[in-house]
Amino acid sequence: MSEAIIRTTDLAKSYLSGDVTTHALRGVDLEIQKGSFTCIIGPSGHGKSTLMHLVGGLDRPTQGSVVLDGTDISRLDNSQLAKLRGDKIGFVFQFFNLLQGLTARENVEVAMMLAGVPEKEQASGALKLLDMVGLAEKADSKPSQMSGGQQQRVAIARALANDPAILLMDEPTGNLDSAAEAEVMEILRKLHKEGKTVVLVTHNNEIAKQAEHVICVKDGRISS
Amino acid sequence: MTLSKLVIKNITRRRGRFVFTLLGITIGIASFVTFLSMGGSLKSEINRESAALGANLVVTPMGACAYEQVSILTGELLPPNITMEDVAKIKGIKGLTSIAVLTQKSAINNKPVSINGINSAEMKPFKGWEMDKGAYLSGEDDASAVVGFAAADQFKLQPGSTIVVRGERLQVKGVLKETGSKDDVTVFVPMQLAQRLYKTGDKVSYVAVKVDNLALTDQYIQTIKETVNLGVVSDKQMLKSVLSIVGTVNITLQMIAAVSVLAAAFGIINTMMTATYERKREIGILQALGAKQRTIFTIFLLESGFYGVIGGITGVVVGLLVSTVAAPYISQNAFTSFVKGSGGTLIDPVTVVGSILFSAVVAIVAGVYPAWRAARLSPVEAISYE
Repeated sequence: MSEAIIRTTDLAKSYLSGDVTTHALRGVDLEIQKGSFTCIIGPSGHGKSTLMHLVGGLDRPTQGSVVLDGTDISRLDNSQLAKLRGDKIGFVFQFFNLLQGLTARENVEVAMMLAGVPEKEQASGALKLLDMVGLAEKADSKPSQMSGGQQQRVAIARALANDPAILLMDEPTGNLDSAAEAEVMEILRKLHKEGKTVVLVTHNNEIAKQAEHVICVKDGRISS
Repeated sequence: MTLSKLVIKNITRRRGRFVFTLLGITIGIASFVTFLSMGGSLKSEINRESAALGANLVVTPMGACAYEQVSILTGELLPPNITMEDVAKIKGIKGLTSIAVLTQKSAINNKPVSINGINSAEMKPFKGWEMDKGAYLSGEDDASAVVGFAAADQFKLQPGSTIVVRGERLQVKGVLKETGSKDDVTVFVPMQLAQRLYKTGDKVSYVAVKVDNLALTDQYIQTIKETVNLGVVSDKQMLKSVLSIVGTVNITLQMIAAVSVLAAAFGIINTMMTATYERKREIGILQALGAKQRTIFTIFLLESGFYGVIGGITGVVVGLLVSTVAAPYISQNAFTSFVKGSGGTLIDPVTVVGSILFSAVVAIVAGVYPAWRAARLSPVEAISYE
């Protein structure tokens, strides 16, 4: 029996904009098992990204709790949350979000620096990760010199820089053509096989079919 | 990758903005250093001059203010009421040595030089002069000149050269050894000759007095005042007056410089605020990667401080260059011509290090608010920023 790496209980998030309250999540209970490959699927604007932000400690819930690898992260202060993100989570975003002024290798090195990897070990570690995503030869290229698919693979290498317990991805293939999408998915399958927990948010059913588990979010709730 | 490397990469990414922001702080610090080093050199010259004045008391007209006293010493102003008769009366007082000086201005090759009429026989022991080249004035009838060391060097004068003062050709008889005082840039001629050339009658500029017993200085001041109807100031008072004038000028200049540094600080704030807006998404990425608020704050503060340190260094270099080039011109005014006119700039390590530190501190203080703004962004807000 595998154990849950993420467990949310009655998780809710609402935003107040002027006099209008928007309920992005309305009481979500979910469990994600360690080493699983899970897709969170649902239409745009129904709370998938909010759920990912809460699970990843980028945002705080209005109500309910998130337990990540045994820690109730809704009780952590900003500094502890940042440490948790640096220690346990690897994020990949739809728009790659690489630091534009830095090369591929430097982007991975920054994540290593923040994870506390000594400078001497960063260069070899970064090259190894870039090699793993098939981009060793692009190590000294800047994001503007790479295709979308290549940038997203660099982003995956960066997300792995801290050897995270869980990879959280928000529409990682949303901006890619099908060839690049296939490459990214191949890397994710490989990572999953190696034992990484992969959580992927998407609105693309074809992507969702490749996951072990699918959680559907609609109107801020889990629907089956 | 380290934080400092990341900071340097960030700051040099937008070269145009980097250069212009840097120029702001460079100009501010350069003007600060220029004024500071010129003021500093002026002050040290005055201190040196006072040590070399060789007098304890200076007799000038009654009630002359500090500016008038400086003007008298520099030859800008000839007091109307100090005559040879007064000089003789002062000489009659026991326990002091006195010497009259007539200071006038002239020019050699269109460059200003100070001409002093002196009693040659009394002046040499009074000042403790020694000859570098040639001979000293032989007496009151000797219609020739003795020039200071720096003046001889500047105008290529040596024993046998001639100079023209008020249309009269005078032979240079000798060159004095370097004294480190204003005497180095002065031409000395016998008193009567100076009085004739400048048609001053029997008037002199001031009388320098040396007191045998320093403990009785106050008493001598009183005696001189009673003997001749003139004012007496001690060299310390005189120095204080000059320093206060120079100090006022200095403070004014430094305030102008401080304003330019302040303007540069706002330039840094502006640049850093723009950077926090532009790099909002980047801040979110760093937060997602595990950067704490403290780390974001440090990155932005270091960027700001980097402007300060680099701007400080370039500012000090530019400032010292400017003050070295400008100092000889500035030394030609009424205040500064009192001191030795060679116009050397003082490169003081305290000024150099202090200015760079000042620049860094100003830049860091300027960076606090933008850094705080950057650090308090919420990760989701920052990362979702389009």
